[in-house]
Amino acid sequence: MELLGVFASVEQAAAAVDRLVQAGYDQATITSVTSVPYPPGVFVHTQRRSWLHWVTAGGALLGAGAGFALAAGTAWLYPVQTGDKPIVALFPTGIIAYEFMMLCALLGTMIGMFLEMGLPEFKRRAYDPEIANGLIGIAVTFADETQRHDAEQALYSAGALRIRTDEAPA
Amino acid sequence: MSMPADQHYDAATANAAMLSSTRPATWRWYLLALLLGAVVACGLYAFSYQVMTGMVVTGKNRPVMWGFYITNFVFWVGLSHSGTMVSAILRLSQANWRRPILRGAEAMTVFSIMIGGLFPLIHLGRNWTFYYMIPYPSQYGLWPNFRSPLLWDMMAITTYIIGSSLFLYLGLLPDLAVARDRAGGWRRLFLSVLAMGWRGTAQQWQTFGRASTLMACLIIPVAVSVHSIVAWDFAVTLVPGWHSTIFPPYFVIGAITSGVAAVITLMIIIRKAFHLEAFLQPLHFDNLAKLLLVVTMLWSYFYFAEVFTTWYGHQPIEWEVFRFMSDKYRLLLLIMLFGNTVVPISCLLWRRVRRSIPALLVITLLINVAMFIERFLIIVPSLSHKNMPFMWGSYTPSLVESTVMAAAFSGFALLYMLFAKFFPIVAITDVREETEALRGTAVRGRARLTTLVDEE
Repeated sequence: MELLGVFASVEQAAAAVDRLVQAGYDQATITSVTSVPYPPGVFVHTQRRSWLHWVTAGGALLGAGAGFALAAGTAWLYPVQTGDKPIVALFPTGIIAYEFMMLCALLGTMIGMFLEMGLPEFKRRAYDPEIANGLIGIAVTFADETQRHDAEQALYSAGALRIRTDEAPA
Repeated sequence: MSMPADQHYDAATANAAMLSSTRPATWRWYLLALLLGAVVACGLYAFSYQVMTGMVVTGKNRPVMWGFYITNFVFWVGLSHSGTMVSAILRLSQANWRRPILRGAEAMTVFSIMIGGLFPLIHLGRNWTFYYMIPYPSQYGLWPNFRSPLLWDMMAITTYIIGSSLFLYLGLLPDLAVARDRAGGWRRLFLSVLAMGWRGTAQQWQTFGRASTLMACLIIPVAVSVHSIVAWDFAVTLVPGWHSTIFPPYFVIGAITSGVAAVITLMIIIRKAFHLEAFLQPLHFDNLAKLLLVVTMLWSYFYFAEVFTTWYGHQPIEWEVFRFMSDKYRLLLLIMLFGNTVVPISCLLWRRVRRSIPALLVITLLINVAMFIERFLIIVPSLSHKNMPFMWGSYTPSLVESTVMAAAFSGFALLYMLFAKFFPIVAITDVREETEALRGTAVRGRARLTTLVDEE
């Protein structure tokens, strides 16, 4: 389960992270929720490894193969002998393979990005629409009621305007 | 890096100002949409008339088989170039002034490539057989000819349409969430679906940054390949005036020139229409105009390098094409040279001109008129005077072709208007990132200086 403290300033939000860490929370369970990207470390350090570039590279390889197979494979399957020209024309095959490679790399990047972000998100998550207007959220995952109580205290003592949860309203 | 306590209110005001285009439409908006829609309807009627009657209703003839439609195709593909490409280059080079212009430029790319991609289909003749270009196993055993540059076009344009749409959507994602949180009713539902549950966690922003950089790296070579392939439509033939190795880079530079000019024109219109003077400042126009100055100089260098080589070699048929062009289309040639070279280079050297919105509007519109003429002068004179003198001819566009062309311009404007009505036309989070997250103050000696964090 998740709690989200909403703050009016960067300093308060950063202080809330410090207090949560002092209260024994692992940094990996804390994240910021903002409407603009802040440089790493302003609130939290994200340490998850990214495999996005590998998905892009995989997409590119797949695309290059598919493009080559389409252009060269068609020529091999339905050969048209014209003078002394080769059955598989290298330059056009290269162009088709290149375009397919780029297309699949672009698609791979987008798919990889959504997978890594965990979007689309169907589960209800703690959120406050005022974050879009510049408020800053500090979200923390808790396991039991004691942890929840500690987290609420830490967030309020740092100056949280309000606290939201991912629980459905009663 | 400290943020004032009332930042919340500043950000809310900035959001409201940048979302001004999405406010309920006025009667003027409806009137303009109606007018543009009427021109599009006329174009659709003209096209249906062409389908029913045949290509005889166009000005195309032997030997000029490519006319206004292919001129439009090259023009619109060129126009599409700068949006995404310039946005990607500025993103990679971390030019902070890019922020307010990103969205408008990226949307321009998507709509102009969509319009451009329609022209080869309109030009086909038997338009209903367009799907023969798609490689699929049919019962006729009919496969597209991969050796044809027209098929390369189809592949490249499809890649570019998908790529630039994804690039536009990627940049929009966090802004869709901002717009979602401020919207109500059906609009909120619509934006929620598109925002896919984006919250803006540190992890999401990190992945978003990585994906933006990767997409920017990928889209630049795609954009270059698209216009190079369009240039090969001409250069791989043995038509005099076309068979030139300089064509691909020359086309790419021409495309960037017309694209940057169109971005400036659109920014001026958006600034005025949606009261975005606070975000689109003279500095942004100054920087874009400097970029335009450089590319017009490059274009002029490429053009004169090509003409000089033709003149020096003086091959009879090559020179005949140039002589015919400078004789029959003298006025168009002069407008092209003035619009693409003399006027921009002599005017944009001056800071005062670069910061003058009315002057920039005139110059950028002139550049695109000149660029359209340049496309026309590449296509028509070369086809009119090919190698066989007994087949020399001429070309005049018909009313049907002109109506379809007018519909293309109106359709582009209509699509852009609709986009601005439903989506943020300024990249909200990009603009706010600079003021809220990256900009700060530091005391150095006796001065309080503005600092900017490096994007990484």
